[in-house]
Amino acid sequence: MIRLRVPGMLRYRDLAVRAVAAACKLVGEEPRASNHHDFDDEVVSAFGEAFNNVALHSYRGRPAGDVEIELELSADRIVLRVIDFGHSFDLRQIADPDLDALPESGMGIFIIRSFMDEVTYEAGERNVLSMTKRLHHPASAPSAGEDVQRP
Amino acid sequence: MTFSRTDGDGLTTLRIEGALDAVSTPELRPLIDTLISERVPSVTVDLSGLRLIDSSGVGAIVALYKRARAFKGQVTVIGLRDQPLAIFKLLRLDRVLSG
Repeated sequence: MIRLRVPGMLRYRDLAVRAVAAACKLVGEEPRASNHHDFDDEVVSAFGEAFNNVALHSYRGRPAGDVEIELELSADRIVLRVIDFGHSFDLRQIADPDLDALPESGMGIFIIRSFMDEVTYEAGERNVLSMTKRLHHPASAPSAGEDVQRP
Repeated sequence: MTFSRTDGDGLTTLRIEGALDAVSTPELRPLIDTLISERVPSVTVDLSGLRLIDSSGVGAIVALYKRARAFKGQVTVIGLRDQPLAIFKLLRLDRVLSG
């Protein structure tokens, strides 16, 4: 397990993203296959959106808090947990954007759902967004059962 | 993130390098406003030096495209690769914006 705790502020985004990008390179066996670049890009994309959501929304109207990042690496997958101690939200209530309308915002959760194989959210004093991506398995389109919201 | 604007032969190129994300996108907004206020007829957004983009960065480029379209201006994105290309493909923007 790799753990990183940083203030939940955008100025720490680059540091956190670089840590996740470096961790991605430890997933899988050497030499890395060519499709691992897609894996890395998609995990980094999803994580970046999750971090943005904490920095922009979790502590709005309250004292700034930290974000904890937990990474579990194995030969065939990465599990990321993004943990904050601020406002909760209901993942199930966030609809996919209408891409034909060329949205300028509101795409973060869609990116997370699209690029990660499993996404769960546990709301509480400690909000935990868990994201899993497996190597060699393309992210499937989200179905009704794949978003899991735990009260 | 660094960006630069070059003008020549009636064409304007906006080159963006580094990471266009929630941290850096606000730095780009004033230039986007300027391009729109000048009603620049054609803008090429060169992303060949861009290594990372998030939904905030995408939103800024889409905003430029939509506002230019209002006065029949053209916005074309070139040089997409790696993570930015993956994001543009997911959001189906590679076909809309690519020259």
